[in-house]
Amino acid sequence: MSESLLQVNAVTKTFGGLHAVFQVSFNMAPGEIIGLIGPNGAGKTTLFNVISGFYAPNKGHIHFRGQDISGKPPYKLAKLGIGRTFQVVKPFAGLTVLENVIIASFARHPKRRQAEQHAWKILETTGLADRANAQASSLTLAGRKRLEVSKALALEPTLLLLDEVVAGLNPTEADRTIELILSLRSQGITILIVEHIMRVIMNISDRVVVLNFGQKIAEGIPRDVAKDPEVIQAYLGEAPQ
Amino acid sequence: MELMPQAIIDGLLIGGIYITIAIGFSLAYGVMHIIDFAVGEWIMLGAFLGYYFNLWTVMDPFILLPAIFLVFALVGYLIQPLVYRVISGKKGNPVLMGLVFTFGLALMFRGIALTGFGFYSHSIPSAISQDSFSLEMGDVFITIPYVRLAGLLYALAITLVLHFVLKKTNFGRAVRALSQHREASGLMGINAKRISSYVYGIYVGLSAMTGVIIGSIFTINAQMGGEYTILAFFIVVLAGMGYLAGVPWAAFLLGLVQSFFLIYLNPSYTLMAVFGILFTILLISPKGLFGRGV
Amino acid sequence: MSRKYLLLVLSFGVLLAVPSVIHDTFFLRIITEAILWIGLAISWDVLAGYTGYLNFGHGAFFGIGAYTTALLMKLCGWPFFLALPAAGVAAGILALIAGIPTLRLKGAYFAIATWALSRAIQQVALVLDITGGPDGMRLPTFLHPEFFYYLMLGIVVAIFVLYWFLLEKAPFGLKVKAIREDDQSAMSLGLNPTWIKLQSFILSAVPTGILGAIYAYWITYIDPASVLGDLVTDQAVVMAVFGGLGTLIGPAIGAIIIFLFKTYFWAYLSDYQVLYLIILGAVIAASVVFLPNGLWGTITGYLQTRKKSTPEPVTQNKSDKGAQHV
Repeated sequence: MSESLLQVNAVTKTFGGLHAVFQVSFNMAPGEIIGLIGPNGAGKTTLFNVISGFYAPNKGHIHFRGQDISGKPPYKLAKLGIGRTFQVVKPFAGLTVLENVIIASFARHPKRRQAEQHAWKILETTGLADRANAQASSLTLAGRKRLEVSKALALEPTLLLLDEVVAGLNPTEADRTIELILSLRSQGITILIVEHIMRVIMNISDRVVVLNFGQKIAEGIPRDVAKDPEVIQAYLGEAPQ
Repeated sequence: MELMPQAIIDGLLIGGIYITIAIGFSLAYGVMHIIDFAVGEWIMLGAFLGYYFNLWTVMDPFILLPAIFLVFALVGYLIQPLVYRVISGKKGNPVLMGLVFTFGLALMFRGIALTGFGFYSHSIPSAISQDSFSLEMGDVFITIPYVRLAGLLYALAITLVLHFVLKKTNFGRAVRALSQHREASGLMGINAKRISSYVYGIYVGLSAMTGVIIGSIFTINAQMGGEYTILAFFIVVLAGMGYLAGVPWAAFLLGLVQSFFLIYLNPSYTLMAVFGILFTILLISPKGLFGRGV
Repeated sequence: MSRKYLLLVLSFGVLLAVPSVIHDTFFLRIITEAILWIGLAISWDVLAGYTGYLNFGHGAFFGIGAYTTALLMKLCGWPFFLALPAAGVAAGILALIAGIPTLRLKGAYFAIATWALSRAIQQVALVLDITGGPDGMRLPTFLHPEFFYYLMLGIVVAIFVLYWFLLEKAPFGLKVKAIREDDQSAMSLGLNPTWIKLQSFILSAVPTGILGAIYAYWITYIDPASVLGDLVTDQAVVMAVFGGLGTLIGPAIGAIIIFLFKTYFWAYLSDYQVLYLIILGAVIAASVVFLPNGLWGTITGYLQTRKKSTPEPVTQNKSDKGAQHV
């Protein structure tokens, strides 16, 4: 068994008595794309927040490259190589697109000049180079989502957590983003992606993990998961005949 | 040690006043998420208006309370849209701007007070200002000034009324919905602007009334605002910002701390002690004693 | 851009020449004080405009610097050039103590805590014997207006340059702004918000303490009302808010305008001194409502939109670094 990049081990996160995530376990091998799906409120974003350090797990552990990272703050994880996007995008609105990515680049390039060069490269990869000097607040939603990905990419992450980066985009933009994600994988980045748009997840994921009410109810290759009656029930509310 | 019961009673009596200083303030924060740096100034202005009303009408300040409330509630209601505009602005950091705005208001009010009322201290004479009654239980001898007791009763009355309004009336339910979830309550037809106007008006009115009571018990002057703003802050942080139920406990605690410093230690260090406790709370439990702050 | 630098260098040159031209000590003192306020306004803005945290106890750092200097020089016999940095260190330590518990919380708590702290410190100074209580302290006399003019000018220019470098050129500035804009996103990018805010706070506090030290030695007499009172903070706030938060030139301009107004006001309308407070408060409130970017921010914003209305071709011009704020 190859060394897992990420090991999520019986992670539980409760808020005032309510289990948002309950004993979820799965592993990620390097270079995989794993889709995380589940109905609304299943705990996907909470799980993201735990893995990326915004919440500490109440129970269970998370290991990244063999190191226990449970409860470590986000800024430490960023330096270790975990990058994430936010479902509700968080651009630095008062700054330019370029400045947004420069800030992210400081993680690996502390000096301004190198950070700026690196930022340009990233913007060219994600197709935002022509908007580099625009205010981040002036971008459309598609632009902001791409900015969000650019910032996470600038960290040169080993593991990338993408939270709904395709939702809300028109088909052309969505396809561009999918192409981008696949190209990232071919660069060796491991990706955990949350997405509501089924065709996206099922097409690009190597494996899929399904959450419902905070618990993992299925895991496997997309084709198998799609046929799993429990998964279907979770989404549709009733088992097929 | 024989002073202990008196110290406790004194603390509770003054704690009652502190409840009214803080409860409107906490409510305004819960609904509008605004820290009003001018809370002490509203108290001061209310006190002075009470003083002048008392001078002109020769009516007891306690009877004037409703009038003061109405005047200031109206003022608050009219000012609120301005405040609202500041804190819901798109430019920059609205919370920050809100703080700066109320800071400016406080400064302005202080200047107006100093200009209009000068540097002199006053007090508002009430029918009950001078008298007190005493309790004797064995060695223990406690004096309770009527006016302070009235203050405590007033505080408890306000708390009960507010509790009733918030729990049992439609208006109260709307207020609670708004403070818990702004967007969702908008979806349910709750007009945030209008409710916020009423809440702000109530808050200003309550603060002004408290000023009148303070004027009957203590002296008032144009510069007193700052001290009461700190006290309001302290109580609200201790109680948990926006957590109304914590206010009475925090208020009584502060009252007891103050009275103990007055009787046993050096009163000049009270502010330091208050600050020290404030700091410790922020270090250990920023959500207040009950962990229910926002 | 280079036009702006030229203007600044020119102003500096003019300011350097002032004592040779103006021999009236009264005017010299006025200009010295104006420069002091520039320093106080920009140091407040470092934390307020750039970092997004309001220090309503800014005056406490000024006062701590002043009192540290007075105590060290008068009671311990230290020379001024040693007391000066010590004052800065004292202010820095105060910032650490005040900042560590409060900067990890939201801005409202910080505003309350710093405001309460400054009042508490004023209370302490009023009560302790060693600080002279309400009567204050006298420092060893050193009556050389030109010396203090050059010192104030030198220090404030140094502060300005330091801030400009750290906040506009160095990575630190962008990091600070990132924290201000969205600290969650900043955290996910490797930035530790509390640590950055703490650095910002110290960056704001230490120069303020040093300015307090200069003030103490210059005026020779300090008391709780003058150096620990509300007026220091109130004026710094007005100057920065009116001038333009988040820039360095904004508070500087605001400082000059408000200070000139104050000097005129106190000279000719000294009967209405308390009216001054009303005007200060009204200016703050009005600026927030009508001029949220301040005078300078509004001017630069207007100039930018005028530039935009003459459309530039969209190019991938890497040498165009975009607007840099001064």
